Amino acid sequence: MKLILLKRSLMKKSFTIVFLGSVFFTAHSQTMDLAVSAIPDSLKLNANSVVRLSQLNVTILSQGSMTLKSKKAITVLNELGLRDLDLMEYYDKNRRIAKIEATVYDASGKGMKTFRRKDFNDMSVADGVSIFNDNRALFLDYTPITYPFTMVLETETETSNTAFIPAWSPVDGYLVSTEKTSLTVNFKPELHLRLKEVNFSAKYPIEKTETPTSVSYTAKNIIARKREELSPIFMDIFPIVYFSLENFQLENVNGMAVNWKDFGKWYYDSLLADTEEIPLVAQEKIKQLVGNEKDPKEIARIIYRFVQEKTRYVSVQVGIGGWKPMLAKDVDKLGYGDCKALTNYTRSLLKTVGIPSYYTVVWSGNETRDIQNDIASMQGDHVILAIPDKSGYLWLECTSQTQPFGFQGDFTDDRNVLIIKPEGGEIVRTRTFAESDNLKIIKGSYAILENGSLDGKVKMVSKGLQYDSEFGKERLAKEELVKRYKEEFGNINNLTVNKISLQNDPVTIEFTENLEFKAESYAQNSNGKLMFALNAFNQNSYVPKKYKTREFPFEIQRGYTNEDETEITIPEGFSVEAKPNGMELSTEFGNYKIEFSVTGPSTILCKRKLVIKKGLFDKNNYENYRKFRETIARSDNSKIIIAKK
Amino acid sequence: MKKYLIALLVLSGLCLKAQTKELGKVTIEELKQKTHPNDSSAAAAVLFEVGRTSFEYSQTNGFEIVTEVLTKIKIYKKEGYEYANKSASYYIGGSASEKLEFSKAITYNLMNGKIEKTKLGSDGEFIEKVNKNWARKKISMPNVKEGSIIEYKMTLRSPYITNFPDWQFQRDIPVSYSEYTTYVPEYYVYNVRNKGFLSPVVKKENTQNSITSTSKERGWGVTTKFDQNVTNYKELKTNYVLTDVPALKDESYVNNINNYKTTVIHELAGERFPNRAYENYATDWETVVKKIYENEDFGNELNKTGYFEKDLDAILKGSTSLEEKMAVVFNYVKARMNWNEYYGYTCDNGVRKAYQEKTGNAAEINLMLTAMLRYAGFEANPVLISTRSNGIALFPSRTAFNYVIAGIELNNRVVLLDATDKNALPDILPTRDLNWLGRIIRKNNSSAEIDLMPKSNSKEVMYIMANVSPEGNVSGKIRDQYFDYNAFVFRGVNNKVAKDSYVEKLEKRHQGLEITDYAVQNNNDLSKPIQEEYSFTSNNSVEIIGDKMYFSPFLYLAMTENPFKQETREYPVDFVYPHQDKFVVSITVPEGYAIETLPQSKSIGMPDELGNFRYNISSNGNQIQLLYTIDINQAIISSEYYESLKGFYKEVVDKQTEKIVLKKA
Repeated sequence: MKLILLKRSLMKKSFTIVFLGSVFFTAHSQTMDLAVSAIPDSLKLNANSVVRLSQLNVTILSQGSMTLKSKKAITVLNELGLRDLDLMEYYDKNRRIAKIEATVYDASGKGMKTFRRKDFNDMSVADGVSIFNDNRALFLDYTPITYPFTMVLETETETSNTAFIPAWSPVDGYLVSTEKTSLTVNFKPELHLRLKEVNFSAKYPIEKTETPTSVSYTAKNIIARKREELSPIFMDIFPIVYFSLENFQLENVNGMAVNWKDFGKWYYDSLLADTEEIPLVAQEKIKQLVGNEKDPKEIARIIYRFVQEKTRYVSVQVGIGGWKPMLAKDVDKLGYGDCKALTNYTRSLLKTVGIPSYYTVVWSGNETRDIQNDIASMQGDHVILAIPDKSGYLWLECTSQTQPFGFQGDFTDDRNVLIIKPEGGEIVRTRTFAESDNLKIIKGSYAILENGSLDGKVKMVSKGLQYDSEFGKERLAKEELVKRYKEEFGNINNLTVNKISLQNDPVTIEFTENLEFKAESYAQNSNGKLMFALNAFNQNSYVPKKYKTREFPFEIQRGYTNEDETEITIPEGFSVEAKPNGMELSTEFGNYKIEFSVTGPSTILCKRKLVIKKGLFDKNNYENYRKFRETIARSDNSKIIIAKK
Repeated sequence: MKKYLIALLVLSGLCLKAQTKELGKVTIEELKQKTHPNDSSAAAAVLFEVGRTSFEYSQTNGFEIVTEVLTKIKIYKKEGYEYANKSASYYIGGSASEKLEFSKAITYNLMNGKIEKTKLGSDGEFIEKVNKNWARKKISMPNVKEGSIIEYKMTLRSPYITNFPDWQFQRDIPVSYSEYTTYVPEYYVYNVRNKGFLSPVVKKENTQNSITSTSKERGWGVTTKFDQNVTNYKELKTNYVLTDVPALKDESYVNNINNYKTTVIHELAGERFPNRAYENYATDWETVVKKIYENEDFGNELNKTGYFEKDLDAILKGSTSLEEKMAVVFNYVKARMNWNEYYGYTCDNGVRKAYQEKTGNAAEINLMLTAMLRYAGFEANPVLISTRSNGIALFPSRTAFNYVIAGIELNNRVVLLDATDKNALPDILPTRDLNWLGRIIRKNNSSAEIDLMPKSNSKEVMYIMANVSPEGNVSGKIRDQYFDYNAFVFRGVNNKVAKDSYVEKLEKRHQGLEITDYAVQNNNDLSKPIQEEYSFTSNNSVEIIGDKMYFSPFLYLAMTENPFKQETREYPVDFVYPHQDKFVVSITVPEGYAIETLPQSKSIGMPDELGNFRYNISSNGNQIQLLYTIDINQAIISSEYYESLKGFYKEVVDKQTEKIVLKKA
């Protein structure tokens, strides 16, 4: 920033920081040897950092009061372990930091320096998505002076939001080992604490103790794990305990829920019921748009288009606004809102014409994560709309101005979500796209010229989730689009795209691309012979990483199908000297077939079909899958040699 | 008797002529427009942006800089909705705060052939306190659709006369009209600089302005007397206009796109008040250097030596040669000090405290280094630089720089050192420093330009010994040596990574590759090149078609894609440092096969010796030898050579992928 040398010296005086270098909390460290030499070798293996001790004490004093006391000692072994140091504590209107203090110890376990509250920076937590939110944090900007070192962070926070009892896992993350970790939750029995344990196994021994007013978990000596390609998400492989209170409070509103039905009812009554008012002008407008249409699905389509044209996504998260949608009439007035606001607005509009639809809470993202189905609690990070349909539900993504009606894509597909109906909540699974749904058909032809250039055209039709990844091209500026094709056809060097025509059909959900292009030196010339890969338009070179030993199962989250047909013409006067044989594979992960047939004196047809199946597989099958992909990658790149007769 | 002075501000002589570009004059034609006339792919465009910066006087605050900007934006597509949100930061940390205000914010839409206006309400404005020094105001315009026009006025009032805003004529969307007018009182002298490829039309005019102060004198409840004092002063009015400014688009291999954005920059150069001596801040490099030296967080800190003398005496004991001493001091600072990732050429906590805590910003570490080198007898001086992220320092000004390193004048040349990076060496600087020119500041206040760009090609030499099996698998040994910047970059990336995950990464990058016996030497011995050695097998380097084998002598290491794909190029290509890659390959042909064809040896150069490659291949019995070098002789290659560069890399790819053919004997 360009600022203010003239006043700088003044500013500096008022912000001089004085460290108190000599006072350390010996009382706590007496019980613990923080020397790096005390870490067992097994915990150093593959670890960038070691959690020496993690103690979290959650005390629920009443429905509207909870304290969290945390003490965490982490030894950072190297620079990469720095990211495991979470020297940050969040606060907001209903969450107060009562204490925050950190002390750094050297490798021998000797205290070096203590950082007190005033040494922590106060900052707004701009999450990069919200235009505004009122969450703040205290954080310590620490520059290590040597490795390894140990940081002990102690915090105490108080909050009235008992709707959020942190979930607990004995595993901090990948490449982190744990010497000792524990959690204790103290509660009032009349508030009814519920918990759900997932992925508990002998691999991670966890000790559990319970009293009528408390529950605690302890785990020791957990070795560091490496992240493996294609492994299921963290929440699906490591032990986690989820908590909820039957009698809780959220932003000063009391709630009561034994199950999802109750929880959904509370959610609707407290957060949604009073937000639905739609101004008369807008109601009129909607009626006008709907006209004589009677089919609920078509009416919903009209309203969804109206919302897409009228609104845009702007995230504003303030106070309970972080949980409660902005009023529908405010969205109507301003023309923007976040996912909650836009979903609720669409729902309210639909309600004015008598079409039921439901606000739906989901964990969003390309990785499919479920709402935990048997513990009713505040979960999820996104909201979509569910409209009942003959076959189940139609799902609307209301934050998108371009998504086709009823098509959710891979941001919210195939996962358990919470549907909130006025009469209560329900867990439902969103649409699972089968491998046959995610279809891409490529038909093309190209000629190889005597100088090795390629001159060709191709038509590509994408459906299902393949549509999802392609239809955005329609909105790209010309040069961006050309750039994208050059990346997509990265196997064809020196590509020039001469003609592009795109058709998007949002009703049938089909995206069609027609391209014409040229490329110099596609075929390599060696001594008058030309050599090139026949399958020019759809080379799949993905091969997963090799592991000498693999620990976790692997998951193919989504299946797909590719069907390609390419006709190749070779220059006159040339004949085929050597032609690849083709390949056929059939495995539990999918099928692959590529054939090359001579169809005329100078034409060759390349037919290819690839089906990848969705599934969760045992780690012992990983190498087979890798080989399968390796063979595909190689066969896709099979080359032909042609020579002058 | 009490005396109250109330200052009133009257700006006369500034009566605004009816501007052609005003808010509130949206037409149906503008709203109907579907695409930008000059750039049909634009998601949005600035129809106009008209700004004025002037000085307002008050007896309590003195002169303040007031900047008003009127903005009118057309939204063409949904992708342009982000331009309907605007945010701006302002300083709240000092003894006086800046004030920022949005007003007249209106969205216009066409509804049934009529213009519909929606005003921004208070619910669309947000204030965020970013930290103790900065706040941010954000507005989110209501009712925005494809085709909307939005307008707003932004006013920034700053008590800091050094904080003259930069005016950017160019944005990442087209700007149809950009006008900026400055009114600078005769008391202030600003250096005015233009950056970018486009030149605005500039008009200058001398005008008059005045300060009217009213002093009110009250007697014992009887009379009140007013005195008016009018001070006339000259004012320089400068007007800049640029029309039809194309969108600024980023490209790959660009250093910092902001270097090319057309902008006018003002830097306070001096103050000239009546009855006071002229205060010169920065009109030329000499003054800039003097001012920086006078800054207590620079000059004073540089001159301190007491905090390290004893320690340094001890470690210097026994070192006699200059090289030895330089290495001892440099290594000592690198080993002791840990960079907190803050830039700056002034110290935050001071060198003494930084030394004690072993942590500091760039200034603390490198001024300390300079001071120690001086103490050890070197002619060492600070070198001010502008990092890559800060853009290129084009003009004499204090703010042109944001970082400092050390320079030693030795045998008529300057050796550059930066101790913020543990892997740095004399003349091997962290890449953030490699940004054209820096300026060395000598003790006598003289200064000189220093070229920061590396001059010699950093080498990588790879020795490959490979055997091809009759099944078409390749196995062999590789020794790969990295020198200079290549070694620096290697250490920066790989020293942090565990060895086996590095090997996994290599294997993943090259399909069908397996690496064993991987060893790397000299990761931490910076005086030697990095040397990697490993054995490999690759089952994907050779293609067997019929009774022939085809493979590139580069095996799996051939460059298969041209990194330059754009048809044309606006901005220079930045390679960061010049380099040479060398391959020495020796391949044994399997038994039962004979060499049918070898690619031809070939050498190709780029114009003006910017680069070249040499490809020499030969065979002897069942042995094939390749000797290949590619040189890129300049770190930065200007866009006029883009065609040649792209063509050169096409040849590189063609040659590297060209196949050797073996035939079954």
